[in-house]
Amino acid sequence: MPSIPAPDLTMPPILDIAGYCLDYATPTGFKRALDNVTLHIAKGEVLGLVGESGSGKTSLAWAIMRHLPASAREAGRIALTDKDLLTASSSEIDAIRGARIGMVFQDPSTSLNPTLPLGEQLAEVLVRHRRLTRRQAWSEGESLLAKVGLKTPAAMMHRYPHEASGGEKQRVVIATAFACQPECIIFDEPTTALDVITAGEILDLFAELQAETGVASIYISHDLALVSNVCNRVAVIHHGKLVEQGPIRSVFTAPTHPYTRGLLAAVPQPDQRLVEMPLDTTSKALLEVENISVRYGKKPFLGRLLGRKNTQFAGNHAINLSVQPGEILGIVGESGSGKSTLAKALTGLNPFEGEIRFGGRPVRGLKDMDTAYRRDVQLIFQHPDSSLNPRQRIHEILSRPLVLYGEGRAADASRIAEMLEQVRLPASYADRYPHQLSGGEKQRVAIARAFASRPRLVICDEITSSLDVSVQASVIEILVDLQRLHGTGYLFITHDLNLVRQIAHRIAVMYRGELVELIAAADIATSAKHDYTRALISAVPIPLTGRHRP
Amino acid sequence: MNNFLRRMIRSPQGALGMLLVGLILVVVVIGPAVAPHDPEIFSPLLRYKDPSPEFWLGTDQYGRDILSRLLYGARATVVMAVFATGLGTLVGAFIGTTSAYLGGRSDEIIMRTVDAVMSIPSLLLALLIVTLLGKSSTNALLAIAIAFTPGMARVTRSVALTVRKQDYVNAAIARGESPLFVVWREMLPNVVAPIVVETTVRVAFAVMLFATLSFLGLGAQPPAPEWGLMVSEARRYMHLSVWMLLWPALAVAWVAIGFNLLGDGLRDALNPRT
Amino acid sequence: MSPSYFLKRIALIGYTLLVVSVIVFAITQILPADAAVMLLGENATPDALAVVREKLGLDAPVWLQYFHWLTNMLQGDFGISMRTNQSVGPELFAALGRSLLLALLSIVLMLVIAFPLGVYAAVRRGKAADFGVSVVSYIGVSLPEFVTSTLLILLFADWLGWLPATGYVPLTDDLLDGLAHLVLPVLTISAILIAHVSRMVRSELVDVLHADYIRAARLKGLSSWTVLFKHALRNALLPTITIVAMDVGYLLGGVIVVEEIFAIPGIGRLLITAIQNRDLPTIQAGALIMATTYAIANFLADMTYAWLDRRIQYE
Repeated sequence: MPSIPAPDLTMPPILDIAGYCLDYATPTGFKRALDNVTLHIAKGEVLGLVGESGSGKTSLAWAIMRHLPASAREAGRIALTDKDLLTASSSEIDAIRGARIGMVFQDPSTSLNPTLPLGEQLAEVLVRHRRLTRRQAWSEGESLLAKVGLKTPAAMMHRYPHEASGGEKQRVVIATAFACQPECIIFDEPTTALDVITAGEILDLFAELQAETGVASIYISHDLALVSNVCNRVAVIHHGKLVEQGPIRSVFTAPTHPYTRGLLAAVPQPDQRLVEMPLDTTSKALLEVENISVRYGKKPFLGRLLGRKNTQFAGNHAINLSVQPGEILGIVGESGSGKSTLAKALTGLNPFEGEIRFGGRPVRGLKDMDTAYRRDVQLIFQHPDSSLNPRQRIHEILSRPLVLYGEGRAADASRIAEMLEQVRLPASYADRYPHQLSGGEKQRVAIARAFASRPRLVICDEITSSLDVSVQASVIEILVDLQRLHGTGYLFITHDLNLVRQIAHRIAVMYRGELVELIAAADIATSAKHDYTRALISAVPIPLTGRHRP
Repeated sequence: MNNFLRRMIRSPQGALGMLLVGLILVVVVIGPAVAPHDPEIFSPLLRYKDPSPEFWLGTDQYGRDILSRLLYGARATVVMAVFATGLGTLVGAFIGTTSAYLGGRSDEIIMRTVDAVMSIPSLLLALLIVTLLGKSSTNALLAIAIAFTPGMARVTRSVALTVRKQDYVNAAIARGESPLFVVWREMLPNVVAPIVVETTVRVAFAVMLFATLSFLGLGAQPPAPEWGLMVSEARRYMHLSVWMLLWPALAVAWVAIGFNLLGDGLRDALNPRT
Repeated sequence: MSPSYFLKRIALIGYTLLVVSVIVFAITQILPADAAVMLLGENATPDALAVVREKLGLDAPVWLQYFHWLTNMLQGDFGISMRTNQSVGPELFAALGRSLLLALLSIVLMLVIAFPLGVYAAVRRGKAADFGVSVVSYIGVSLPEFVTSTLLILLFADWLGWLPATGYVPLTDDLLDGLAHLVLPVLTISAILIAHVSRMVRSELVDVLHADYIRAARLKGLSSWTVLFKHALRNALLPTITIVAMDVGYLLGGVIVVEEIFAIPGIGRLLITAIQNRDLPTIQAGALIMATTYAIANFLADMTYAWLDRRIQYE
């Protein structure tokens, strides 16, 4: 990866934000989104803007791009090389957008118009701002696509978004942002919607282009590990205020503000183990998965009779693994790798072929999953918003497993309070509805629900992926505590390699429905056998220490 | 409850809808009690009268007081429409939810058949059923209920599918809950709200449909004070008195607009995102 | 579009029409406990009943009756009208032609008015214009055809005397007079359609205008006009096709009522007359034709949608 060049600090800043305040109008009055924000970006500089959800980092992007609701109130100054943006007319803004400030959005699937060819969406900025004719714009567009690393630029110009992969689309979006050689580009979490390996490639591309053009960049992200690899300076934003600002090294190795310190402490560091190692490998396996395959899609009607190809595709293909009692087995892979499919098969949500043995007993399908199995094997889902029934109160949600698994009638208040306490929630939450809880709190309720029946195995299906990093840290803490307390085994599914290296005993790597590697966590960085595992290790950014150093 | 009412009043549709429908319900309940005249009394000497202090809305071709007929007729028109919609919704909801739960081939077959039935325009289907059963208000009610069932089945299925995909339903299945528990306790409470919105809007359509059937002579029969029937009878005497035509027509429009507004207001109030 | 998609759709419409034919037949011939009594009344003599039974083939088993009826229909034999004692087919298709004229004019008027209205309301969302359009469309959607038509006749025919109240003049006889007779019926049918479609167009467009890609287009510096016409409208277009197809159902219902009120000899009027006269074959044929028209309209809409939306091609 080419190194980020030092910024040119002798020139005036490209983007100068001074004492900027932003209030949004809400039905209950004005809400302050940004409070006294001051920062500037010089030519060639990459400023990371780091914050959790609700911090205001995206609002700052909209403020710079002047994309705010008419009812918003502003104060302060935002200037683009001496041009005050707050007082600019709308026609001036239209001329600036795309030409002098560009933006790369988070999800290329939604930021591209599904009914227009990719080439058209690229060429139109050239026509608009650089006054090219359509033909000139298209040929210029082609060369731009070649520049961002697309292999068949001419063909890609004519493709529609749904005909391109996520990585390809994001390259087109990047090409569009760079097309008119803007002075400044805002990157709003450009790799969040991509898988790790593609994200790595996009980051390389970004570094290359940035080095070449010296464009002043704002890189918005919640991922500190990523930011530490990509930016020169970083600004940390919390509840609309910039709590800390400075060069990457100094802020990340010696943070001054308590919030920054908390944030950094919460970031998964693969070499900081949270779970003590020794595991009793002599005891009988808790869970054995033998040759599990799950197929999706319908068999074609009268398929074999009419000679139609079987269009089913394998969600899982011949998976073999085992979990010891009390073991944390991490399962990593990208979306589409089949890890959730396996979780669903183990809990009867997907039909499967092959055999599962739990505690020695064979389980060949839904009919073998009796009450005892259900009590012992619990599943926690990714999205806290949808895994709790919005029309049930917390105490109802928590007592259901107790009723179901035969502990008699609905649990009394003290039992519920005990369950809430285990996940560090106040007993008063029992009367609340899910929408009255935050995402992290909901997830804790889901954990409490799973542990209600004292299961022997808990399957965690990406349970922290939609949580902020600090919230994630507290949830992981609870999980680790519970494991120590009850000796529960976990099947911990995630795409975050750094996190899983902190807590798992062994790690299984899945790729396209197959299990490609099963290895002790301590060895994964050094002794991985499969190419995919190695590619994954090198693509995942590690906080502060830079990549390529496990 | 308070929170819900406040949300309803927030949108102009909700507020206005509640007002209009509220008034209608009042009329339905106490209409006959406050009607100034007997709706069935003929007064041959007082025919085609314009609105006057004695007959606030005028009289019709038999000298009957239009206002009283409207007040009595509210029950005929509105209650019938509500029942028809309710019946159609119940049956349709059952079909739709079951189809959503079954999924796969069964779901597809059921829905294709529902689509095929929906191929017959509602009015046409209602006409055919009334032909089968005979002309009367009750049969018109049944006809409308049957005509609405496939549409409600479709809507319910679509809502049920969305709910089915939610993780709390999967969580329940993964816990080993029985299918009955899943459908009854986890799915249905979350399916109800969008269905209520849809039903309210359909009542408006039912009112119009019922009045149209009566207008065509296939619903309520004379001398019932049903509003559509009143318009139909009034057409012949349009030149003699415009009022006997105008008031029942406006009454039908009032009810339809009211329920449409109420439905839209409910949609906004029950939407968690707004 | 892939041939398999096309074939699947053809199979579907076949299934749909089959179900429709079963329903129509069941309701009119099978479900009535005794169709003959239904036709002739309670006091008919046993001999008369026997004649009718034989005429309708009511003594044969149910499925055989259906089979005969269906095969006849498919061959173009729609039976003999009980009222006129003549073949149903020719009169039916002549009437259908007139109804189609009415329907087509209504659809054209609807498209011309509803789209710009809906787009305008969406672009001016929250402002007075949007409110105005909203009010008008609420009213339009809430007025049954018999109310609208009666009010229109009152206004234009009785008070102003600009247009004839009822009746039909074939366009081939006298173009201007023929059109004059069609104005009020077309307006009546269009009123509901315009109200409904403009609301749907508005709602679709508002959703599209909130999409990420519209925001991205704006932030590229494209003008609001470009964003609206080049980016937004084509995405709102597709769902609207489905809505318009659905409205053909309302249209057909409206045609029935309007033809009855304005005395236009179309298929709707034929049906009503047949129902009132208990003319079974005409009822069956008329209902089947109407339902078939709706099914075909939906089919065409599906095909147009699939042709326009590249994504479906890949299914």
